Amino acid sequence: MKAQEPHPPRFLLRFFRWFCHPELQKYIEGDLLELYNERLQQSSKRKADWRMAGDVLLLFRPSIIRPTQSVDYINPHDMFKNYFKVGIRNILKYKVFSFINVFGLAVAMSLCMLIILMLADQHRYDAFHEKKTRIYRILTNYEGSRQGYATSPYPLAAALKTEYTVAEDAVTLMPGVGGDATYQQRIATMRGYFADPSFFNVFSFDLVQGDKKTALSAPFSVIISKALAEQLFEHENPLGKVIDFSDRQLAFPLEYDGIGAAPVKWGSLTVTGVLDPTAYKSHLAFDALVSTSTRQALINEKKVEDLSNNWEFFYRAYTYALVRPDKNEDDLNTALSDLVARKYANLKFDQVKGFNLTGQALTDIQTNLQGNDVNNRLPRIGYYFLSILAAIVMVLACLNYTNLSTARALTRAKEIGVRKVTGANRSALVFQFLSESIITSLLALGMAVMLLLFIAPAFKGLWVNQYLNFELPSTFEVYGIFIGFAIGVGIVAGLYPAFHLSLYQPIKALKNLGGASAGKLGLRKVLSVSQFVVSLFFITTAILIYQQFKHYLEFDYGFTSKNIVNVQLQGHDYRKIANAMSTVPGVSTISATDLIPAGNTNNNCEVRKMNTSGDYISMGKLTTDENFTSTLDLKIIAGKNLPAVSDSTSRFILVNETAVKEMGYAHPADILGEVFETKFGGELLEVVGVVKDFRYRLLINQHEIGPLVMQNNPSSFAFLNVKIASPNLMATVGKLEQTWKRIDPVHPFRYQFYDQQLASLHQGIFDLVSILGFIAFLAITIACLGLLGMATYASERRTKEVGIRKVLGAQDSSIALLLSREFVWMIALSIAIGAPLSYFVNNLWLQSLPNRIEFGMGILMLGVAILLALGLITIGSQTWRASRAKPVDALKVE
Amino acid sequence: MKKFQLGEFEEVVLLTVGVLYPDAYGVSVKKEIEERLSRKVSVGALQSALKRLEDKGYLKSSEGEATQERAGRPKRYFTITALGRKAMEYTKRTRDELWAAIPKMALHPKMTGI
Repeated sequence: MKAQEPHPPRFLLRFFRWFCHPELQKYIEGDLLELYNERLQQSSKRKADWRMAGDVLLLFRPSIIRPTQSVDYINPHDMFKNYFKVGIRNILKYKVFSFINVFGLAVAMSLCMLIILMLADQHRYDAFHEKKTRIYRILTNYEGSRQGYATSPYPLAAALKTEYTVAEDAVTLMPGVGGDATYQQRIATMRGYFADPSFFNVFSFDLVQGDKKTALSAPFSVIISKALAEQLFEHENPLGKVIDFSDRQLAFPLEYDGIGAAPVKWGSLTVTGVLDPTAYKSHLAFDALVSTSTRQALINEKKVEDLSNNWEFFYRAYTYALVRPDKNEDDLNTALSDLVARKYANLKFDQVKGFNLTGQALTDIQTNLQGNDVNNRLPRIGYYFLSILAAIVMVLACLNYTNLSTARALTRAKEIGVRKVTGANRSALVFQFLSESIITSLLALGMAVMLLLFIAPAFKGLWVNQYLNFELPSTFEVYGIFIGFAIGVGIVAGLYPAFHLSLYQPIKALKNLGGASAGKLGLRKVLSVSQFVVSLFFITTAILIYQQFKHYLEFDYGFTSKNIVNVQLQGHDYRKIANAMSTVPGVSTISATDLIPAGNTNNNCEVRKMNTSGDYISMGKLTTDENFTSTLDLKIIAGKNLPAVSDSTSRFILVNETAVKEMGYAHPADILGEVFETKFGGELLEVVGVVKDFRYRLLINQHEIGPLVMQNNPSSFAFLNVKIASPNLMATVGKLEQTWKRIDPVHPFRYQFYDQQLASLHQGIFDLVSILGFIAFLAITIACLGLLGMATYASERRTKEVGIRKVLGAQDSSIALLLSREFVWMIALSIAIGAPLSYFVNNLWLQSLPNRIEFGMGILMLGVAILLALGLITIGSQTWRASRAKPVDALKVE
Repeated sequence: MKKFQLGEFEEVVLLTVGVLYPDAYGVSVKKEIEERLSRKVSVGALQSALKRLEDKGYLKSSEGEATQERAGRPKRYFTITALGRKAMEYTKRTRDELWAAIPKMALHPKMTGI
């Protein structure tokens, strides 16, 4: 026998054959081999290999490489027409399968389109600024903070402008305008920023009326929004008019539970401009811009705080820098860190450690939420979350298409064979199948647009959207993206079937011996199983979150919230309002508090036993009057209630049971009479009573009830808790409103029912349930559609077998069982994988949730039952139909 | 006027194909050039030059026999066409004319010395 001759590395030759022009290939290959063999005689195999590699690499040049188009390229136009025609005919011929494919894709697509709309919506924010690429908002951060702050120190803009060259201009927006504007007899609420003339240099807002150059120069000038102008001046020309303004310290820019203060007269403001903020999509929204120069006069009158040299206090002002065209973000950040190094070297305050300032590009603001930000937005993580969900559903739908197309390969085998015999090469077939899948996905796009008409309003109607303000307008660009997306989906979905089907050998395909026998599922089984696993996961997660939501709604807070109306005091003296309201028939008790317990705001204080040197213990703090315990049905388990208001009442406190334990006392009675000192101010607190533990923090924030101090301090009261005894709640509330109107005719009566208020705090969770439930529904729909397609196909393929079996005496039920067995097994496998998976993954996040429910077998069983029911109905509908068919018809099929 | 386009390497290849007549194929041409001109010639450079020459119509090729050492791949023999001959002649003539036009002094600078 001849010894194996050494030969060149195969991959080199394969690579060469791949790129070489087919006409030249065999000759050059011969040359290469001849040289190789010769070199083999002269030197080692290794050297010969290397030299061959060099030769091959040097052959890789334009004159040798094969042309990109195949050599036998025929006029493609007619073929395109043919592909299109065959594609349409195929879709029309197999209506059930086409519908399953189109519908599945459309459902998933509509969800993806919703996300695209959301992203497009966010992308439009602040796009109108001419210098948007050069505008940066300065963020503040320090070591140990949870997130960066959108605010920065007040003197920053001035320092950037005068001491550094990086910024062409900078503007400080200082919130702190929030009160009542009065013109003649008309009063309107006005909230906004102090701004300097640089505002119009940095941003591209235009004035409807007034001169941008001078509008913010003079002290006591104000630019008002168009809406406010119409409210105050109706048909008069607002320019030059003088309005009286009293500041009530209304919360701005974010509306927290409206806590105002008693009005302070700022004097007269002259209207120098009218701006229409609603005409711009911007993260900035305001009713008014007051010239910064006004602040000096107000500082002199001690009406606002002077912050012009305060570098420590970074919570109040927003700084925007306009970077020079030749500078970039890095230059800005270098300047900022230099500034921090200089200004903060000798400062001592809590956050000075690791204090830093950085620029945030204007275009980045809308998706990158910071602490202290100017409005509520969906943070970036939200987009990721939704995109991932949409992508999963889209993948499921694409799997369906892939699955069904490969399953139905046999029906196409003959066509493929004929096409190949008549000269179609593989790439042409790939192209044909891809064009078919693209047609399908474009049809799906049409259906998806219709579905979107229903989904988009539903999404906009979600509770969260009142904070997020998604508008979701459809524009031409968005439709362009949709079409691009649909084509992309078509390619992704069709890629595997295209390559799989085009692989068929013509002879085998024509003889119907193709490798695609109906019984073997292999990859398709894997795909189907994974679809059901994902569906089961979504179903259980949605059920779980819904249970959690219900758990929060029915939670026992330890106090009564029923029939209590919380009334915002809006800066009024609580006694005046309380006295007036107590005369309203139907009102049982009235108490006052500084914040809503178990709401989304908290206060803290740090206390320790007097004359000790131990650590301060951090406790929650509520300021309430003496009626509070009876209004909320809090039980005093030791000592007595808070004393009624007098000058010394703020010394006396109530604590809760946890505080007793936390401070190291065995029995509630032991703490009575003890005196504590607080960290700041050293004010002394004497315990007069102990209340039974109740929830005073948001359920989602705190698992255990923490220690609590309750103190009577009328100056900080912001809410009245009015308990209503009469059965007709709304009538009593109407009377309360009349009482309010008598005392304050200007400001509207603001109230909320306590129980509804608590429930609404968890409304966001319900939105999550809606979204996840919807996605679970989509996932299971798509998976069932896929299953339906496969079951239909399998029973069609086996019609003859069924007929013969029946003729031989098989029962309907045994045939149905025979046809379903495979699919039932698949569902069982999905459950076996999906149930433990969803159990563990859901437990991962559930463990970190305070006040959680137990994720028991019940939820899992419910999920499994839903999946099983839907899956079995899907399979059963097909197999039952097939098994009941008349054997004569079945045997005639060909 | 640029009647015939022929690069330097193309000219060498064309001439060598002539020298080797009738046995000019890839490997033999490569070896011949390497031997006579003692310069390295890569298969890629040679093949692309041969292809260019064939495209210009200076060379024509025919399929030859397949041999053992080529693992059954055929050789591709090249011969010069009439157009190729003209191009060679044109190149040679222009060179000769240029040679003739050089004054003797230019090539023997020593003679200018006084």
